[in-house]
Amino acid sequence: MRRMNYFEVFCLDRKLGIDAQALQSRFYELSRRWHPDFQQGRTPEAQAEALERSALVNAAYRALRDPIARVEYLVRLAEGRDTKGGAVVKPKAPPELLEEIFELLETLAEARAGGLDDDRRAELAVERDRLVKRLAAEEDRLKGSLATAWDSATPADRPRVLAALKDALAVRAYLRTVIDDLTNALEGQESDAAHHRH
Amino acid sequence: MAYSDKVVDHYNNPRNVGSFGKDTPGVGTGLVGAPECGDVMKLQIKVNLETGVIEDAKFKTFGCGSAIASSSLATEWLKGRTVDEAAVIKNTDIVTELKLPPVKIHCSVLAEDAIKAALADYKTKWGTQAPAEAAASASS
Ligand code: FES
Repeated sequence: MRRMNYFEVFCLDRKLGIDAQALQSRFYELSRRWHPDFQQGRTPEAQAEALERSALVNAAYRALRDPIARVEYLVRLAEGRDTKGGAVVKPKAPPELLEEIFELLETLAEARAGGLDDDRRAELAVERDRLVKRLAAEEDRLKGSLATAWDSATPADRPRVLAALKDALAVRAYLRTVIDDLTNALEGQESDAAHHRH
Repeated sequence: MAYSDKVVDHYNNPRNVGSFGKDTPGVGTGLVGAPECGDVMKLQIKVNLETGVIEDAKFKTFGCGSAIASSSLATEWLKGRTVDEAAVIKNTDIVTELKLPPVKIHCSVLAEDAIKAALADYKTKWGTQAPAEAAASASS
């Protein structure tokens, strides 16, 4: 039998708008149902299955509870299918954003090499605040208008919306990385850029 | 994570770090990123407009060790190739050379993307001016 996907675990449509309250009570209900404590006296096979189920329920809840993780899961799910059918569209961040980030990382590397003086610090802190706001805006878009667009998209529209979701996730990834780098630099952790990454 | 000797070598002694002016004649610039991790890489080629041969290549990568090694290796491979010969470099070649593990494949993909982007940028900016290309298409 095909493994259930996380939406199916909770009998949900493949939609991004999920009622958090309902999801949580479903989760409790399913956790209880498959909890090892309630499997006493059942056959070993049944117990093993229950264990598997409860692991699946946990993983599904973790993936769907957070609205952004949910988008990531949805994309992975859709990709899994797309790959069999053919090309997966590569997400792309706007070139201006890449350029901006690259320049910022360059400035940061130079500032680090020359020692961060107070002026530089202040400048970089301003940049970071700006990027943090931008990240928040991007996340709102993912949780808000883009999620709504997905939920109301016709099948023909879905690839386009999916691509937009992926692009937004990519933008978020770049912003997060550069914000991390800036934070590390500003908080004076003296690791060079290459080291604290991965 | 255990890096192979070659990765460590490129990481500790990256070749060809730096940049050319974007609008220098014969220069093509590729700026790409890996959405999986948010790392960014810039790779530039400098093509001799007479011969169509890549005379120099430079990179700057803000990313993991494998991404740095991949781009460093790429610049070494690019030098001395014609633009067409450069286009055949595949990320799988980089994976083999550097013995990258599966989780680091996207880092080599980033380098391939950067090469492609640099070549494309070169072609848009200088492609029509390269006699080597005209000669190649005339003789084929
Ligand atoms: S982990 Fe992102 S490029 Fe290597």
